[in-house]
Amino acid sequence: MDEDVLTTLKILIIGESGVGKSSLLLRFTDDTFDPELAATIGVDFKVKTISVDGNKAKLAIWDTAGQERFRTLTPSYYRGAQGVILVYDVTRRDTFVKLDNWLNELETYCTRNDIVKMLVGNKIDKENHEVDRNEGLKFARKHSMLFIEASAKTCDGVQCAFEELVEKIIQTPGLWESESQNRGVKLSNKEEGYGGGGACGGYCSML
Amino acid sequence: MAADSEPESEVFEITDFTTASEWERFISKVEEVLNDWKLIGVSSGKPLEKGIYTTGTWEEKSDEISFADFKFSVTHHYLVQEPSDKDGKEELAEDALPLPMQDLLCMNNDFPPRAHCLVRWYGLREFVVIAPAANNEAVVSESKCNLLLSSISIALGNTGCQVPLFVQIHQKWRRMYVGECQGPGVRTDFEMVHLRKVPSQYTHLSGLLEIFKTKIGCPLTPLPPVSMAIRLTYVLQDWQQYFWPQQPPDIDALVGGEVGGLEFGKLPFGACEDPISELHLATTWPHLAEGIIVDNDVYSDLDPMQAPQWSVRVRKADNPQCLLGDFLTEFFKLCRRKESTDEILGRSAFEEEGKEVADITHALSKLTEPAPVPIHKLSVTNMVHSARKKIRKHRGVDESPLNNDVLNTILLFLFPDAADKLADGFESRANTSAGNNPPPENEDYNLFSQFKSAPSDSLTYKLALCLCMINFYHGGVKGVAHLWQEFVLEMRYRWENNYLIPGLANGSPDLRCCLLHQKLQMLNCCIERKKARDEGKRGSVSDRSPGASGDGAKGAEHSADNPDKEKEFGKSWESWSDSEDEFFECLSDTEDLKGNGQENGKKGGAKEGNKEPVNLKPEGRLHPHGKLMLLHPGEPLYVPITQEPAPMTEDLLEEQSEVLAKLGTSAEGAHLRARMQSACLLSDMESFKAANPGCCLEDFVRWYSPRDYIEEEVVDEKGNKIIKGELSARMKIPSNMWVEAWETAKPIPARRQKRLFDDTREAEKVLHYLAVQKSADLARHLLPCIIHAAVLKVKDEEALEDISSVKKIIKQIISHSSKVLRFPNPEDKKLEEIIAQIMSVEAIIARARSLKAKFGVEKCENEEEKEDLQRFVNCLLEQPEVSVVGAGRGPAGSIIHKLFVNAQRLTESSDEVSVVPPLEEELRRSGCAEERRQGVQSEFPPPTGREVILRSAVPRPAPYSKALPQRMYSVLTREDFRLAGAFSADTTFF
Repeated sequence: MDEDVLTTLKILIIGESGVGKSSLLLRFTDDTFDPELAATIGVDFKVKTISVDGNKAKLAIWDTAGQERFRTLTPSYYRGAQGVILVYDVTRRDTFVKLDNWLNELETYCTRNDIVKMLVGNKIDKENHEVDRNEGLKFARKHSMLFIEASAKTCDGVQCAFEELVEKIIQTPGLWESESQNRGVKLSNKEEGYGGGGACGGYCSML
Repeated sequence: MAADSEPESEVFEITDFTTASEWERFISKVEEVLNDWKLIGVSSGKPLEKGIYTTGTWEEKSDEISFADFKFSVTHHYLVQEPSDKDGKEELAEDALPLPMQDLLCMNNDFPPRAHCLVRWYGLREFVVIAPAANNEAVVSESKCNLLLSSISIALGNTGCQVPLFVQIHQKWRRMYVGECQGPGVRTDFEMVHLRKVPSQYTHLSGLLEIFKTKIGCPLTPLPPVSMAIRLTYVLQDWQQYFWPQQPPDIDALVGGEVGGLEFGKLPFGACEDPISELHLATTWPHLAEGIIVDNDVYSDLDPMQAPQWSVRVRKADNPQCLLGDFLTEFFKLCRRKESTDEILGRSAFEEEGKEVADITHALSKLTEPAPVPIHKLSVTNMVHSARKKIRKHRGVDESPLNNDVLNTILLFLFPDAADKLADGFESRANTSAGNNPPPENEDYNLFSQFKSAPSDSLTYKLALCLCMINFYHGGVKGVAHLWQEFVLEMRYRWENNYLIPGLANGSPDLRCCLLHQKLQMLNCCIERKKARDEGKRGSVSDRSPGASGDGAKGAEHSADNPDKEKEFGKSWESWSDSEDEFFECLSDTEDLKGNGQENGKKGGAKEGNKEPVNLKPEGRLHPHGKLMLLHPGEPLYVPITQEPAPMTEDLLEEQSEVLAKLGTSAEGAHLRARMQSACLLSDMESFKAANPGCCLEDFVRWYSPRDYIEEEVVDEKGNKIIKGELSARMKIPSNMWVEAWETAKPIPARRQKRLFDDTREAEKVLHYLAVQKSADLARHLLPCIIHAAVLKVKDEEALEDISSVKKIIKQIISHSSKVLRFPNPEDKKLEEIIAQIMSVEAIIARARSLKAKFGVEKCENEEEKEDLQRFVNCLLEQPEVSVVGAGRGPAGSIIHKLFVNAQRLTESSDEVSVVPPLEEELRRSGCAEERRQGVQSEFPPPTGREVILRSAVPRPAPYSKALPQRMYSVLTREDFRLAGAFSADTTFF
């Protein structure tokens, strides 16, 4: 397809049901908003190519159902993801409280430990927020995630969220280069610390 | 030639370089390089600190220049120094000697353990070497040498560079250098003599002193004092009195079927030969004034025992043969085999008739040829070879590669549940492999997820270790193929007979493990379901797997205490009376009734008008969902027993996500995708309907997706607060998939539904997959487990020795491996790297053990001394050279002394002349040497190397010249004699 695509990245969107995962994705890929988007069944999938810092990356984005019961099914798709967007609804505290469970889930099912995580507080266009921005920030800091508040409805922060995530992934070379050809995973200092063994260049001993 | 410009001639003067010779061009190139590297001008720097040559960092820069078409490489070697505040020193430097000349006399860095030879010979901190570039022949002829020497002399003069400049002459291996250093009014010439045979007068100090003095040709009397530094080096090769402690494993016991020195499930460790080949003792007299000691051709005061400084280095055997490393390498070789199991075992080769027949014969010939492993005396390999030969001899055509006893032992080890009577040794392991114990939550245990191997108590891991062992000791690839065949048979047997496979965690395949492990887990899932089904058929109550009850618990958490006065009318559902054509489970209804006895008492209120009475009573209930009540009939809402989702291995998953992704991103694609995945939703709905007769979609949503049921408080006309609830907007979209599914769902309990997971089919798929794995595939699958095991092994072994450098390397190995192994099909090169790293760690640990044994660390009774010795041994491993505290009189020193004494005694008692080193022969020939050696140094062998540095500050060439540094270094070894002199002269008036 695209010849100049640097890499293909697998991105996951997870979070409680009804927090607006599919809406965020729809806003990002099609730039539309549908207030009556059907609840996702299992997983859904969308593709978009974006350009970050002049690098084109093809994103394969897997949108998951948030329902408890689907959780026995969806984690299988966590495999091999390089980035994950964890969404909560700023107007519903319970969706924020459950974030810990989602992180556990990620840890359990994700096949790599250096996956880039982004926390998104969705629906900021609505009134009566139950979760303060600072709480989101604190949570993200605690779990070393990226953080942004967004609204799929008004388009706030959506593009930015995806771009930031991709940029961060691209900056973590071990995370994606190896996908394409398994190249470039360099062992930075493997020579170091070999206990003085081996041949030494200019060493001259009389013996 | 060039411009002698007269100031008055204002006319344009043409400077003509068109006739410049190659030689002139060469000189200008040298100057250019010196300029580029900013080596021009007064060199500044601090006086050298003690030992800075060892502790500091050396760097080098290179460039290439040519003389006509002959290429030279120019290299600047220098000790990295902190930039000093120059201002204060500039003025001092006006009259001072150039630094390199000062360095000639500096005694702080004599005999550096590791340095460029010119550093060792001349004590320089900085110099430039011009040498023929790679692939260019050496500069041998005298005229060429002189030409080069003049070139650098001119270049130094033109530029005012104070850094010594050397040219390399003669063959590279001779390391012959001549050079020059220039300063204001001074010049030092670096000269060298290199001989194979030593003139006898130079074998001792007095002879050397004589040369030095002659060379200086000092006109003064008395001569200024000459300072001397002497180092004698002794080599110890004979460790005979300290046998290498590694016990070779008892192969014969293994062959006999008994588990001998090596157990299955463990990796061996340690070197088969002494990983320390030599010990070099350097005895140094760092500063002697002339006349204090006597060392001439008849007598010597240089008794190593009396030397004020001792230092030791050890020579490590290159790539010592180590057991763990051999195991790993041999196992890795398996990955490259091409033959299939059948081809290797040669049983059903006819099945693939005509295909690669040549390959088979090739394979067989490979097997019968001895492997090209170098045979060391008394090494394990040696024994392995004989063991293998023995096996081969015993094996007839029809005999299987693994003998029955070995095979049985392994199978018992892998499947401890198969044995009625367990051997004592296996009992403990059987316990740990039961899989029911909560896995220990420590870092080591979780290594499997980093390596994508398998837990260290799992069947897969144990299988890997057994295969590794078999590959090495019991018939190589044939044995591997044989065991694998037996293993696959066992798997099939277990599937057919409903025996769970031991040593695997319950539940669906763990995607963090290797694919083979996942496949086995998958098979276990299938067996579990089949077993449950078969037991159900037999009438016993089917057990629910822990996974399912876990789900139920999750559901229970969900319960919210919604007030259930809600009278909202839910959509009533049409009942379905079609009889299903596929059954999940065949529990009879009567049994079901018994099972749900208590709940059934309340039943009967359902008014849905089912045509079949069976549907009137609820089926397949798990537990009430909190206090939730059904909206319509007002009955408690029950969480149904549901079908568990299909377990998936990563390859299946890949396949499925590919299928899902292929549907594309269009709306139709998305719809189709949702439909494909709705089977599970539909099944859950059906179970729900069966468990909750009279329920509606709202009820289902309240359990399944509670956030899609929106409740709000409203005040009715009477002023009472009531809670009104309704489906969320998205659930109300007409004919969305949820509604659609709800409408199609029939009230069928999970056990009578069509199976979401066809265990029979999946089991057959797994069994087929296992059966077609070639030995190479198998090795690739299991290599992560082997690396995992090897890392744990070296970690364990290191823990006994506590070597900090090894700890660091192990960490690196872990992080490296986890990067490499997590990807499918890692490159061979990277795997080899990992194996090499593990081998190097093994060698280091083996060396530590060897040294510990040699220095008797364990035997030492004094705690303090023991600690010191331990530290000393660790230093020997990590540093190129270690000084001995207390020299010959310290605890380490006396041990070293003893080692030499013992070795010497052995040499003397044996009459073999050939053992005597050539140097001594030489000396013997020179006559009187013998008594001398025996007089003073009988306890030590003759020194393998004698190094002497002579230094003095002497005015040259005339008595009234400046006193300038003069230095001569000499080294005498068995086949090499070298004098390296640096003689400075005042050039102001000469």
